[in-house]
Amino acid sequence: MPEKTDILAGIASYNNAGTIGHVVKAVDAGLSKYFGGKRAVIVNSDGGSIDGTTDAVRTASFEHEAIFTSHPAYAINRISMPYDGIPGKGSAFKAIFRKAVEMNAGACCVVDADLRSITPEWIELLVSPVLNYGFDFVAPLYSRHKYDGTITNSIVYPMTRALYGKRIRQPIGGEFGFSGRLAEYYLGQDVWETEVARFGIDIWMTTEALANGFRVCQTFLGAKIHDPKDPGADLSDMMTQVVSTLFSLAERHSSAWREINGSLDVPTFGFRHHVGLDPVRVNIERMLRIFRLGVKELGPIWSDVLGKGDFRELERIAGDNDASFRFPQSLWTRLVYDYAIAFHKKRLPPGHLIKSLVPLYLGRTASFFMEAADMGHNEAENAVETLCAEFEANKGYLVNNWK
Amino acid sequence: MENFKDLLIDPFRKFWAGLVDFLPNLLAMAVIAIGGVLLSWAFRLVLLKAFRALNFDAFCDRMGMTTMLRKANVWTTPSVLVANGVFGFFAVVFSMLGLSALRLQAIDSLSVQFFMYLPRAFSALVILIVGYMAAGFVARTVLIAAVNGGYNYAKLLAEGVRLLVIVMVLAMALEQLQIAPGIVVAAFSIIFGGIVIALAVAFGVGGIDAARKVINRGPEGKAGRDEIEHL
Repeated sequence: MPEKTDILAGIASYNNAGTIGHVVKAVDAGLSKYFGGKRAVIVNSDGGSIDGTTDAVRTASFEHEAIFTSHPAYAINRISMPYDGIPGKGSAFKAIFRKAVEMNAGACCVVDADLRSITPEWIELLVSPVLNYGFDFVAPLYSRHKYDGTITNSIVYPMTRALYGKRIRQPIGGEFGFSGRLAEYYLGQDVWETEVARFGIDIWMTTEALANGFRVCQTFLGAKIHDPKDPGADLSDMMTQVVSTLFSLAERHSSAWREINGSLDVPTFGFRHHVGLDPVRVNIERMLRIFRLGVKELGPIWSDVLGKGDFRELERIAGDNDASFRFPQSLWTRLVYDYAIAFHKKRLPPGHLIKSLVPLYLGRTASFFMEAADMGHNEAENAVETLCAEFEANKGYLVNNWK
Repeated sequence: MENFKDLLIDPFRKFWAGLVDFLPNLLAMAVIAIGGVLLSWAFRLVLLKAFRALNFDAFCDRMGMTTMLRKANVWTTPSVLVANGVFGFFAVVFSMLGLSALRLQAIDSLSVQFFMYLPRAFSALVILIVGYMAAGFVARTVLIAAVNGGYNYAKLLAEGVRLLVIVMVLAMALEQLQIAPGIVVAAFSIIFGGIVIALAVAFGVGGIDAARKVINRGPEGKAGRDEIEHL
């Protein structure tokens, strides 16, 4: 094992024997092809897989001669190790950060182990902004269906952008590039016994980089296709994990975002293009039914969090028929800020508070799907940008009520 | 004649001697009782100030306790209610202490029984308070989960769960107070078991279609689910 490395590529895994071989090959090929003259290591941080994931990491191989005219100057080492601490992606990343610090890595990247669409170019796109241009943090940018990533599009991206003033389009992407300096900073934070160790590591990494003045950029990776997620994964749990981390970080960094107005583009690497994607089936009728059920049954909670005026507005739009139903952006923006304020002021237990946001989110999502039904990719993207502008314009409401 | 005079005066003399002996006890009782009541009142005022500083009423609003009081036709604020309760409790305790200063056998045994019962009463009160808060928490968990799952009778379900928890808590409190414990346990078993069987029958027989849908994962089954990636 080399004592020092120039590049460290991390892969967090748990029972990914079916896909991790392909991911390791792509990473190996990317390191060989684009960084052949550098010392590099692939680190697999595993959560105790029982399906042969670690064997797949060790045995995955490809013929260098078939792709390259020459071998890389240094052999690319592979380390497969179990991580310790609380089970979760955060703990797996902590082990990768530790290894990066131990090996004094100059540039690092992490990729998911369940990726099917990863290519060697992803490694170049994630690592070279750090190695060649001095950035500390590289967020991914994917081509996605206009209906995908609705929590990202309606809550995480607009709020992160409004709070920290940087337009990172996919703050919870899953693949990241980062400098050794940032890895050391991450490792030194006292969060590894908290929920960040279990979930929310993606938004945590992005927010810490933004709030602490590290140089950030994003890189276009194309379409992201991965193994189907657990079909039993509950939307309420997903929402709780992501949004509670987002709100907790807003509390932690309140002094960093209070004075920020508007937002700025960040440098974007890669050739941006739209990829043809499979159609996505949505059940708008079900979403609206749950939203209306929420208006009927969760009235006392929503009145308390949002105030009576906005709750009456919700009652009014709930009375519209399905075809003409629209959830105004301004109302949605106030509502997300009200939830952040309620979270900060501990007006309800966090689990109850965030889960009670789900019917509202479904109402807003149904409205967006109907608005975007005839839109092309760019128009749908513009609609997200308009929402972000609304979040920025209303930020004073959050600042004034935060205390 | 002298004898007769003594016979007449002796009862008065004895009464007077007894009265003189008893008066300090009476005075001690009055001092303890009146002083205790005044002290309790002062404590009540301190408690009210502390509750105001801690926003206790707002906390009770959030926990749904104020609503419960309104439903029970109690219109004082929770902080005043608790402060009055604490005042009443200490006033009774000091009164009992005062009475025991009289050193009358009957009152002494009553005092002993009273103080022996206090830990049980306190435990029952704690069970009721914690139980009520737990019932509210569990009911809200069920309500939100049922709404997010798209179940139409979410509130009914949540209130049913709250009722079950409260019945259980009441039974525990009564059992702690040792009020007809045999009857309480039997009544609780009958009521709790009855409610569960009634719900099971109503769900399985009355709502056979709904039951089938739930078993098929959610009200719409798998077919009605979205394919979107939320994150």
